[in-house]
Amino acid sequence: MLYRSSIAAIALTAALCMAMPDAQAFDDGQYPDLKGQWRRIAPPGQPAFDPSKPRGRGQQVPLTPEYQAVFEANLADLAAGGEGLWPGYRCRPPGMPPMMTAYEPLEIIVLPETTYILIDHIHDSHRRIYTDGRDWPEEAEPAFAGYSIGKWVDQDGDGRYDVLEVETRHIKGPRAYDAMGAPLHKDNKTVVNERIYLDQTDPNILHDEITVIDNALTRPWTVTKSYRRDPNPRPVWAEYICAENNTHVHIRNESYFLSGDDYLMPAKKDQPPPDLRYFNPSRK
Amino acid sequence: MLSQSTFGAITLLAALTTTVAGAQAFDDAKYPDWSGQWRRIEGGPPRYDMSKPPGHGQQAPLTPEYRALHEQSLKDQAAGGQGFDTTYMCIPMGMPRQMSGVFPFEFIFAPKITYILFEMMIQQPRRIYTDGRDWPKNEEPTFAGDSIGKWIDADGDGRYDVLEVETRNLRGPRVWDQSGMPMHADNEAVITERIYLDKANPDILHDEMTTTDHSLTRPWTATRNFKRERKVIWTENNCTEGNNHVVIGKENYFRSGDGYLMPARKNQAPPDLRYFKQSQK
Repeated sequence: MLYRSSIAAIALTAALCMAMPDAQAFDDGQYPDLKGQWRRIAPPGQPAFDPSKPRGRGQQVPLTPEYQAVFEANLADLAAGGEGLWPGYRCRPPGMPPMMTAYEPLEIIVLPETTYILIDHIHDSHRRIYTDGRDWPEEAEPAFAGYSIGKWVDQDGDGRYDVLEVETRHIKGPRAYDAMGAPLHKDNKTVVNERIYLDQTDPNILHDEITVIDNALTRPWTVTKSYRRDPNPRPVWAEYICAENNTHVHIRNESYFLSGDDYLMPAKKDQPPPDLRYFNPSRK
Repeated sequence: MLSQSTFGAITLLAALTTTVAGAQAFDDAKYPDWSGQWRRIEGGPPRYDMSKPPGHGQQAPLTPEYRALHEQSLKDQAAGGQGFDTTYMCIPMGMPRQMSGVFPFEFIFAPKITYILFEMMIQQPRRIYTDGRDWPKNEEPTFAGDSIGKWIDADGDGRYDVLEVETRNLRGPRVWDQSGMPMHADNEAVITERIYLDKANPDILHDEMTTTDHSLTRPWTATRNFKRERKVIWTENNCTEGNNHVVIGKENYFRSGDGYLMPARKNQAPPDLRYFKQSQK
């Protein structure tokens, strides 16, 4: 039979044990320090999906013949002044995986059940990477950011996590890899695998090894993106609002421009004006 | 003298206590549980004071100048225009309208920052700095503004229960609600908030908001109420997707169901096509 003091002590222990999950909610010493603001490391100018290769055909995207033809038609449209297949011209989200190009800086918030990636690019906004051991949802509404499940890995066995492995599915389209318009498959069955980790020699460099599995590709395509941490411990977060000052106007499958003095103007040589059939002719 | 079982229990207790101290990098037990997905309780058009009807029913303490501008906005909307509301162009609502809760949001607590993420993708996340910093100098204004917060243990139980926030450095143009009631063009608004869980129902959150703005004759206070969804499903709300407003210069037109440009208001003139070759018309 237990003494009363034993019972009291055990009860207190039990009470503390019950409180533990709350109090212990977040031992961030277990996770790598990903705090701060991360900017892409890439050549200057409009970024390509694979930052190690030239833009356009130079990316050597392993497209199927069908999608290579789609890509070529897109390049011809771009050359003629069109928008090609890049949804960004219309301020539509790039989605996964191009959103990890980090058109604007990233912030990574690591919590036990979810790692958030905030992107200072308003229509990308944020990713949620669930690390709570959940399975894929039976029904998920496709989203440009997709649905991401992650797992923290202690690769070097030092008792701390160092790699975040992520798989992303349920991605919405249309999407292209970058502004040169190399397309992802319209079936939107893309699966994106990532390994996100700090550089072993420089903790202010972050790498994201991205492998894209997509039916527009002849094989999985792997690209490594890297980011540099802003040394400012209190970084400034700007606002990028695509819809503000967007001079692209899209009317019935044709793109036009807004001139500097706010008139509609052609985007291509000899482009006809839009059909104004729904306006009262007497008002023209 | 302690029995062996008592000693064992106390040893375990000591070990657990030690573990807690070691794991305390971020002791979120000090913070209230605001997990889950929050959206507004009251229905109807989203508006600053959800306890009052929209439009004139808001009884906003506007200056005569801004009351006249509000009337102008309402008149334009009645004629098929958008008034001073800019969200149809996918421009962020900004603060304080951003906290309407018409689309769900989520809180994230980190030691130095409380974040609010919004399902509506054109809303920038709010970063509420709780690290004791002062107002930044020379920073570009944003629609979400700069927010400095402080966690308060209002009832003295050792846990925080109220987040007090002040927001400044806002950019515009911003309006109070979708009727286009304008906030002052000087963008010097200051918004203070007290955010806390309902004492009787932890699935209800209150945001007591007071806005000081030069469009007002006095500070305007309203309380927003949000309900928690614990079984969370997030969707994406992309304003630009399926947006059929086409803005050319200062005129807003629509894109018809079959893709043609069409008037947004009665007898609206078509766009000026002076930059197209006349033979192409």
